Amino acid sequence: MVVLRAGLCPGLTEEMIQLLRANGIRTVVDFVSSDLEDVAQKCSLSYKALVAVRRVLLAQFSAFPANGADLYEELKSSTAILPTGSPSLDQLLDSGLYTGEVTELMGAPGSGKTQVCLGIAASVSLSLKQHVVFLDSTGGFTASRVYQMLRARAEDEEEQAALQRIQVVRVFDIYEMLSALQELRDRLSQQVVSSMGPLKIVVIDSVSAVIYPLLGGKQSEGLAIMMQLARELKTLAREFSLAVVVTNQVTRDSSTGPLKPALGRSWSFVPSTRVLLERKEATWEKATTQRVASLAKSLRQPTGIQVELDTG
Amino acid sequence: MQRDVGGLPLAPALRARLVAAGFQTAQELLETGPCGLSKEIGISKEEALEALQVVRQECHGDAARTAGGSGATRKCTALELLEEEQAQGFIITFCSALDNILGGGVQLTKITEICGAPGVGKTQLCMQLAVDVQIPECFGGVAGEAVFIDTEGSFMVDRVVDIATACVQHCQLIAEAHQEEDHLKALETFCLESILSHIYYFRCRDYIELLAQVYLLPDFLSEHSKVRLVVVDGIAFPFRHDFEDLSLRTRLLNGLAQQLIIIANDHKSAVVLTNQMTTRIGQSQSILVPALGWQHCTNHRVRRSQLYHITLHLMASEMCNLQLSLKMQKILK
Repeated sequence: MVVLRAGLCPGLTEEMIQLLRANGIRTVVDFVSSDLEDVAQKCSLSYKALVAVRRVLLAQFSAFPANGADLYEELKSSTAILPTGSPSLDQLLDSGLYTGEVTELMGAPGSGKTQVCLGIAASVSLSLKQHVVFLDSTGGFTASRVYQMLRARAEDEEEQAALQRIQVVRVFDIYEMLSALQELRDRLSQQVVSSMGPLKIVVIDSVSAVIYPLLGGKQSEGLAIMMQLARELKTLAREFSLAVVVTNQVTRDSSTGPLKPALGRSWSFVPSTRVLLERKEATWEKATTQRVASLAKSLRQPTGIQVELDTG
Repeated sequence: MQRDVGGLPLAPALRARLVAAGFQTAQELLETGPCGLSKEIGISKEEALEALQVVRQECHGDAARTAGGSGATRKCTALELLEEEQAQGFIITFCSALDNILGGGVQLTKITEICGAPGVGKTQLCMQLAVDVQIPECFGGVAGEAVFIDTEGSFMVDRVVDIATACVQHCQLIAEAHQEEDHLKALETFCLESILSHIYYFRCRDYIELLAQVYLLPDFLSEHSKVRLVVVDGIAFPFRHDFEDLSLRTRLLNGLAQQLIIIANDHKSAVVLTNQMTTRIGQSQSILVPALGWQHCTNHRVRRSQLYHITLHLMASEMCNLQLSLKMQKILK
């Protein structure tokens, strides 16, 4: 739905645009779908000029089909699989987090979503020596916990360097989150290296905290904003070959119903993989770091498989 | 930087019209100008002007961020965060076992929820914290002020006077034992009157007042920058009665939680909430769980189960559970 503007392509001048607009042609879609002979007559413009403009616009704005084999080759060379730091979780995810995809971790409060996210950030930063962008919307990012995890896996010198590769952005509002993601996209597309080294993963904890206040009731704004966020995440993942990890809450239909992911049906199409985290025993009394992770949605593995996880 | 029109904080109807008219980035909006905008969309010039002002503010905010001004923004590396966390003080509770479990005391920039059955001492603990936050730094405190938002009306000034007097006496004993310069100087200003005058008390009678108070709190806190503790005593109370629309309740609570997280983070203060307990009736047994089901918003949870017992459940950093039996007298002064 791009509006025709002067300078959009050579040959499209301001007078042309005014004449076209007077005849009801405002956007690129209107232009390429109209009968050019008709337009040339009504607007008294040269037919050849119009055809030339149409050719350029089509080249600029249309999508081009790609060969399946070429696509496969491209994916093979650009996709990376990142280890999550927990061998059982890697097994569940078919050896790790795939770049180019959105993976969702969902669970009840206290089920370990933030801990798993911190573990992923620590593992990618330490073992792969790559940068991590962590968008924190709940205030749950605790650097001392990441330090603890790093200490358990590494020698002395590497922890500081690993911590420096994790960039934390605290966003507590949906607009701040969208702004942060767009800023990230701009930085990546301009390839500003500076302090950002090779970036392969973005972790967002949590997505539901910023969207929940907007959903429900009579306002449909929440859904629109949620889909805007979904588009940003998918664009980031696809265009820049990043692995995007998000966390989500769970709700129930009734007090005894099964757990289902929050944010509804529209959001369920956004992540390609969904993992449900649960405590092993459903009680508050025992001290445990054991969790159970089950696969709720996946492109590659059968759903329903479960593994045990230790977030300690 | 190209901001997408769909992601700008404008009114939804206006946003929908802009997208339908074919505008894609904020840059295009700014280039069109208010007159062109009002003509294309069909809104009045004043509305167009207002919308453009919002857009301009957003873009300037972004430009300031990308230019490297990371003062007011919330972007940093984990290493910097670690240094910040290690330098941060805790609000001690004067109960060493509780302080141990919490990792030194109530943490700043985090939300701590205290839940328990009625009469177990949640408000007492909150009042103790409101006094403890004011302990001068040389005695191990954070020397801050406190905001107390009361929804149940259970704040007893006499009890706070007792707690404050005991706290001052305790500090005096420490000063006498150590005989240091700064201890004696700090004690001159740390007295009953100053403690009471630095607890800012707000009484909210229903959920609308509570929401209004929390949303107005950032302005109050920017004037009183020494506040290091915000207590909301009884977060569940206004929401549990006469609330027909449950989805509205969830929305309001989530919005409230995000606002509290922003307050905790931006003003480097601890937010302490008290919550009631409700019974979840299971198949064979019923258990007490925190009310409102909003467990996802807090970072730490402390549960006081019965008199003289404290059961603690940590949800964030340490993931450990300990059960202790302590006497009430030892905890509170």
